[in-house]
Amino acid sequence: MVEVSDKLKTEEGKKDAFLGIDIGSVSCKFVLMDRNGEVLTSVFLRNRGSPIDSAKAGMAELRDKIQAEPDLLNYAIKCCGTTGSARYLTKAVVGGDLAKTEIIAHAVATQSMYPDVRTILEIGGQDSKIIILRDDIIVDFAMNSVCAAGTGSFLDHQAARLGIPIEDFGDYAVRSENPVSIAGRCTVFAESDMIHKQNAGYSKEDIIAGLCDSLVRNYMNNVGKGKELDEPVVFQGGVSYNKGIIQAFERHLGCKVIVPKYNVLMGALGMAILVRDYYVEHGSETVFRGLEVSDIEFKTTTFYCGDCPNNCEIVQVRMPEQDNKIIARWGSRCGKWDQLT
Amino acid sequence: MLISFPNMGPNWVAFKTLFTALDLDVVVPDPTNREAIKIGVKYSPEFVCFPFKATLGDFVNAIEKGADTLVMAIDCGPCRFGFYASVQERILRDMGYKNIRIIPLDQADLLEFHWVKTLQEVSGRKDLFIYSKYIKAVIYFLKKAKLLNDIQTAEGLFRAYERNLGDTTRVVNELLEKLDKANTLVELRNFKKVIKNDFNSIDIEKSRTPLRVGLSGEIHISLEPYVNLDLRRKLGEMGVEVHQSLSLYDWVVHKFHLNYHRKWLEHLAKPYVPMDIGGECVWVLGEYIDKAKAGFDGFIHSYPFTCMPEVTARTIITNKLKKMYDLPIIYFSFDEQSGQEGFRTRLEAFYDLMEARREREIKSTPEFMANGQKKIYPQYGGEFYNEIAQLIQAE
Repeated sequence: MVEVSDKLKTEEGKKDAFLGIDIGSVSCKFVLMDRNGEVLTSVFLRNRGSPIDSAKAGMAELRDKIQAEPDLLNYAIKCCGTTGSARYLTKAVVGGDLAKTEIIAHAVATQSMYPDVRTILEIGGQDSKIIILRDDIIVDFAMNSVCAAGTGSFLDHQAARLGIPIEDFGDYAVRSENPVSIAGRCTVFAESDMIHKQNAGYSKEDIIAGLCDSLVRNYMNNVGKGKELDEPVVFQGGVSYNKGIIQAFERHLGCKVIVPKYNVLMGALGMAILVRDYYVEHGSETVFRGLEVSDIEFKTTTFYCGDCPNNCEIVQVRMPEQDNKIIARWGSRCGKWDQLT
Repeated sequence: MLISFPNMGPNWVAFKTLFTALDLDVVVPDPTNREAIKIGVKYSPEFVCFPFKATLGDFVNAIEKGADTLVMAIDCGPCRFGFYASVQERILRDMGYKNIRIIPLDQADLLEFHWVKTLQEVSGRKDLFIYSKYIKAVIYFLKKAKLLNDIQTAEGLFRAYERNLGDTTRVVNELLEKLDKANTLVELRNFKKVIKNDFNSIDIEKSRTPLRVGLSGEIHISLEPYVNLDLRRKLGEMGVEVHQSLSLYDWVVHKFHLNYHRKWLEHLAKPYVPMDIGGECVWVLGEYIDKAKAGFDGFIHSYPFTCMPEVTARTIITNKLKKMYDLPIIYFSFDEQSGQEGFRTRLEAFYDLMEARREREIKSTPEFMANGQKKIYPQYGGEFYNEIAQLIQAE
């Protein structure tokens, strides 16, 4: 449950802007969008320990960017939406108007750029998803539930092991002519396979290309399981920077894979679009705390409920500046602490 | 002698009455909780299915509360469930509980009356005079199980309409206490009215048109709220009607060969799986087809991670039925994980998916809301379902 702030912002004579925030497992993204769906500015950061710190850091950077560009000063943020695995916490902290799952956000953003999209592949830091659309609506989706193979963190780790920066990972893969075969079932197998091939003297290029192949195979088996992947296919998320993976997907699917311009910002962009539609439809006043959120102090405390044998760990977020008011609280299985009163 | 049994959601009420009617002392284990799961996971084989671990944890909890005789259902296969009781007994012995007995309750075919042997063993008597008590125990058990089934039906409907979040949950918990205390035939006969009255006291918004979801899967996972992360409550609080015919009563009646609903489901599933292969495989397929034909908005299939029969059902649905019937389905495979974030994300996304589909349907058929939507299927559901549906339907 989220307490709304009573701080209302009404600035006359300014153009509308909408803010979408996507706080994922590894990075956080902020997109400021105008009424027509044009991205005004964006922020991309690695996470800072907790979603609260990340949100504050992102807001500070966004404020700096806005102040540096005179054009942006003509815009007022009308509404703010959050997505990603920390969407509810972020919503409480920044004063979001809407929180939606990243699946919907990604689909909406992709549809705004490619209205006829039928398959969306998304691979991020800790999770990967597939979204199937038919006739403009989502008909099926899947997320990796048990396995972290085939995600960005795994590639990051392997890049470090091979001693190459992750940014160059894709270029290495593209240069390979004979990808070695690497077990794709499980990261543990993949890693030992890789060490073996590395020590047997295979070139880095071939190993990396093999790794890209095995990651795609894993994704197809774990996430894509039995789904019909029709064209057009759009590939987004942090891993879509990796040319090797794009090629591996194209080989596997036998069709062209489109990578959108804002490939890592899609979640935040989708949220900005959703929140714009929400604003247009409801015309409600925002509860957004403003970019000054970065200066507000938030304190999280945890305690054990102890009312039943489950002994749930309850998390609450307080604002010390406003008489220690509790703005968010959750963690109980039975749901009784979710009410703020 | 103190008797106990594992948890399966609210069904402790029915199990308890089966033994108290025989004048035996009963210990009800604490509702499944983190501690019980921890113990169950620690002492179970790593690869075993989750209900095994959960029920083992319940047993340890009951033993610590003083129980010395445990009753566990068994079956002649066809899946691992057939061996639960004997393996659990060995594990408990190895844990140092030397004097614990697990009395198996053979439910492979209740018309073979193997369960009489269980009752004889539990009560320690075989003389003819005890048989009247057996009959009483079974009647009470069946009646309470039926009433629990009714509560479940009403709960699934009402929660989607409640104005104040949590009213339905409170009513259900009160009803369970009341049902536990109702120990005469007259009270049990009138209990249906109590259920209807109590639910009718909930402040509901009749004009809502919630999404309709069918729920099925492995029986323990589907009925035990701790294990399935309170799936039914969460769906209801998101404003979704939950239709679940799967219950203890449903199962027991099926084992008496009197469950015509299940026979119908078997008939529907026959082209894909011609026989019972364990778990709820056949009936999940049947339910999926049935719900698709009834025009539901979605279907949820929950099962324990690594459950063979349910994975079979899942594969048949994804590769075959989904393409034929086009009913959105989401699968939840549960294990000891307690992190709820991924679960919640998928559930919310599934909700959005169903809503988008419905909006499209409304757009393409303007009279949809007028005719199709408000109508509570006359052909659908049992007698009690229709009575409850009457309470909700707007005048």
